[in-house]
Amino acid sequence: MIGFLSAVEGFFTGLSRVHRLLPWILAYLLLLPLPYLLKHGINEYYVDLANRACLFILLSVGLNIVKGFCGQVTVGHIGLYAIGAVSSALLALNYNLPFWVSAPIAVIITGLAGILVGLPSVRLEGAYLALATLGLGESVRIMIAVTPALGSSTGLMMIPEPSIGEFIFDNFESYYYLVMTCALIGIYLSFAILKSSTGRAFQAIREDAIAASVAGINVPFYKLLAFVISALYAGLAGALFAHMPPGYLHHNNFTIIEMVTLLLMVVLGGIGNVWGGVIGAIVVTIIYDQTKDYYFYQPLIFGIIMVVMVVFMPHGIGGVVKQAMIKRKFIEKHEEASGPA
Amino acid sequence: MEFDFNSLFAFIIFGITIGVVYGMVALGISLIYSGLDIVHFAHGEIYMFGAFFGLVMAKDMSIPYPAALIGAMVLAGLMGMLIERVFYRRLTRSGGGYTVAGMGMIICGFGMSVALMNVAFLIWGADAKPFSINLGMPLQLGNISIPQSYIITAVISFLLMGMLHFFLKYTKLGLAVRAVAQNKDIAYLMGINVPVFISLIFGLACALAAAAGVLIGPMQSVQVEMGYLMLMKAFAAAVVGGFGSLPGALLGGILVGIFENLGAAYISPSHKDIYAFLLLILVLMIRPSGLFGIEAKVKA
Amino acid sequence: MKRIMPSQHKRAKPFQRSKQMKKGNKLISVLVLAGMMLSAVSAMAGEIRIGITMRMVSENGQKYGQMMMDEIDLINKGGGINGNQIVATLMNDECKSDKGVANANKMIFQKKVHLVVGSSCSSVTLPIVDVTAKAEVPQIVPHSTNSKITQKGSAWVFRVPVSGRFYGGVNAKYTGENIGTRIAYICAADAASQGDCEKMQGQMKSQFGASPVYVAQVQEKEVDFRTHMQKIKTANVDGVMIAALAETMARALVQSYEAGIGPEVRRIGSSSASNSPVPAIAGDAAKGVFFTAAYSHSDKRPIARLFNEMVRKRYGIHAPDHDFSQAYDLIRIVEIALENADLELTSSSLKQDRIAIRDAIAGVRNYQGLASGPISFCSDPAPVCRDGNRTAVLIAYTKGGEKYELEVLARVTMPMDFGL
Repeated sequence: MIGFLSAVEGFFTGLSRVHRLLPWILAYLLLLPLPYLLKHGINEYYVDLANRACLFILLSVGLNIVKGFCGQVTVGHIGLYAIGAVSSALLALNYNLPFWVSAPIAVIITGLAGILVGLPSVRLEGAYLALATLGLGESVRIMIAVTPALGSSTGLMMIPEPSIGEFIFDNFESYYYLVMTCALIGIYLSFAILKSSTGRAFQAIREDAIAASVAGINVPFYKLLAFVISALYAGLAGALFAHMPPGYLHHNNFTIIEMVTLLLMVVLGGIGNVWGGVIGAIVVTIIYDQTKDYYFYQPLIFGIIMVVMVVFMPHGIGGVVKQAMIKRKFIEKHEEASGPA
Repeated sequence: MEFDFNSLFAFIIFGITIGVVYGMVALGISLIYSGLDIVHFAHGEIYMFGAFFGLVMAKDMSIPYPAALIGAMVLAGLMGMLIERVFYRRLTRSGGGYTVAGMGMIICGFGMSVALMNVAFLIWGADAKPFSINLGMPLQLGNISIPQSYIITAVISFLLMGMLHFFLKYTKLGLAVRAVAQNKDIAYLMGINVPVFISLIFGLACALAAAAGVLIGPMQSVQVEMGYLMLMKAFAAAVVGGFGSLPGALLGGILVGIFENLGAAYISPSHKDIYAFLLLILVLMIRPSGLFGIEAKVKA
Repeated sequence: MKRIMPSQHKRAKPFQRSKQMKKGNKLISVLVLAGMMLSAVSAMAGEIRIGITMRMVSENGQKYGQMMMDEIDLINKGGGINGNQIVATLMNDECKSDKGVANANKMIFQKKVHLVVGSSCSSVTLPIVDVTAKAEVPQIVPHSTNSKITQKGSAWVFRVPVSGRFYGGVNAKYTGENIGTRIAYICAADAASQGDCEKMQGQMKSQFGASPVYVAQVQEKEVDFRTHMQKIKTANVDGVMIAALAETMARALVQSYEAGIGPEVRRIGSSSASNSPVPAIAGDAAKGVFFTAAYSHSDKRPIARLFNEMVRKRYGIHAPDHDFSQAYDLIRIVEIALENADLELTSSSLKQDRIAIRDAIAGVRNYQGLASGPISFCSDPAPVCRDGNRTAVLIAYTKGGEKYELEVLARVTMPMDFGL
């Protein structure tokens, strides 16, 4: 298994040497026929599952940026998701803006909200920051629940699907292309950020904020930037969620349980690892779907997995895989070096 | 609405009675923070378990209420010590607040909270269970009637906190607890068995949360979901009063109680829970160490 | 001293391990793929598939679901429908719309059900109506009362419970005529209670020209109503309407007495007042509370008596509320419709079978079961046809506590287009 992954990784690295976007284009092309394969090979429901997995991929990758790269403990991410979803829905319902206009505006609004959520991070650390962000996230949900204009208890319904001229994105397959494209772009950007100087600044802050500031990094600015970037991801995911058929939003979609599920994805996949977010999102979505018959025990299973992961595998599955691959590479190099001897 | 001093007085009284309970849970959170350097996100579920233990003892086993209270405290304390020993010990060893392990503690707390809630659901089901004790007619203070349960809650809470204060200040064991809370390494050097005391502190905090649960039971029914909201209010109380300060937790609780009741009465009742969060965030931003707390860890 | 190189220790292992892991992983992926294939193939012919999505994690939620499954089991044991067995799946939607939609999608596209039963929470049923309408699958609603469900114009949805628009009229008429028109409202933030509150206020206005004296919006799981009770006490009202889910309502009732609002101020409940946690938790505070519902266990008809007996024996419920009766009536109506429908039940006739079932349900006329009045559907995609049940009973608690007692004050059948 590790050998296979290493080979794939080697292949993609080779491709990226030709042109850095090449592996991504290849991945995109490979993922394009997925809905047809799923629909005709198994059944259409799995395309819906894939759509939801892509939404969660966007969310986890975004959360990973602020949590994994930058080390800021935020537990209010679901509030940003809610803001993105509700903004786009309201813009579309009240002002008849098409999705292609309302979604970007919603993303910007969420980004601004990200500044607000990120403000406590400038002064607080660790558990204090967790509390502040938790409070903010829950306040967003309660605001939605009690304000009739925001949907209140009946929710926002009949949110229009995106459309280009005559073509409406109103079934699983067409929506898949929308979300999958966004998810892939999101993953790519996450890698780009990781490798850039911004990403290095984030990681420096994660390791030791004081040392980072001594090294000349403007810590408050970068912390806020991390929050804003993750908010942009959440905003996009929210807008996509709102317009997904049947186009219904309710404050119940954004509770603490959803936040804990998101946390589980990031933890399971591996904090600080871009693929971690992806793996976590896919694995948790699949586990959740397959264990639906055991709904009695689902929160228990999730809770135990979280506790066990944190205690025994703090770097998640992604971390384990990465370690194994590094080990393998190391051993291979040593094979070469100490060769015939 | 004409300004009604009677009502204002009533709201303040309500705020104090509920605030004292918040304070008790906040006390536990503060204790855990000073003892283990972590914020325990599953504390709300311990509170809920305490309420259920009390309910089972009082109703199914027909144990008189005061004994049920003590029984629930003991059970919850033991449960807490078990959880600490099995799950949290590894994490607290690897660090407090900033490393991946620190973040891990927070995540672990969430996971534990979700798991515990499900366990309670499997044992007791989702129904809200009545917890009624016959206490007699409400007390009349002018135009306001205060049910006996509120008064008893306040009295017992003060009593428990007084006992805790006495224990910490005037007994040898309490001295050891305070030493561990202040500086673990030096306490070790002094010959105190620190791990045992950490478990003890955790157990004590859980016992307090359980007491709060049993006291609140008659006022609102007992249900597996009651932990989460209480947790938020208790956090707000602990932050306002200052983490690590025991009188602060009590005062913080009372302030939160009054604040949210006044807000609900005079600003908008549907946003009631937001007031507690608002207070929490405001205090965190302006004065993270709260009223009496030790210096909060703020960085660059 | 020679430094020990890692390769000297670990040379042999990684390759061996990776070979085993490769095999193991291949096996796992084959199994997973096989599992997925199997679930697709499981859409076999010759069986009627029903998918039920409900809020299972709630008071009595599991029991309603269990009862429906048990009844379906009995139908199967009795030979099924025209010889065909019913395969039913019960899913939990946690009263969350995204989970409900996911369940509906799973039932419709993966399990290829012929009929969707769902849901208990109005906020979940509302989006599912769109899903079933688009996928062209008949849907029959067991518990949701929000009137918008049938006002969307879907030709595929049928509602067994009494719609909230009927309740408001009955409640308001009785209140205005017998209690008074100065009413205070406490409305919780869940969809059903909001609907009930709106309807009641609307009806009080249109029938008596009365405006609410006091309206408080509270959280869904509010625990502390004392500030509201204090204000209501000083406002001198004839009645207090508390629209909330069961345990929240119970708390509010208890606190209304604790605040000193005497029994001469009547408490009015929303439709969830019929759920058993209300008298169980409120105890004496439930006495005198009246509300409209679809069924009362103190109904004297033999069929009601038998039903009460059955529920008591099978599920240990002292007195079934209208959610039980509606779930039961739903299964009976589905049974009748399925027997009348012309079904082929092959894997290629899925679309036609769904249409046939829809038309069969639409053809149900004057079904008289546990519901307090006849249930009739018709095929127009309008609320007059889709809200089959328009008889409400006005019920009051005469005794609270675990062994509560109710009495029926009135039974009213409303005109089909009432409240539209």
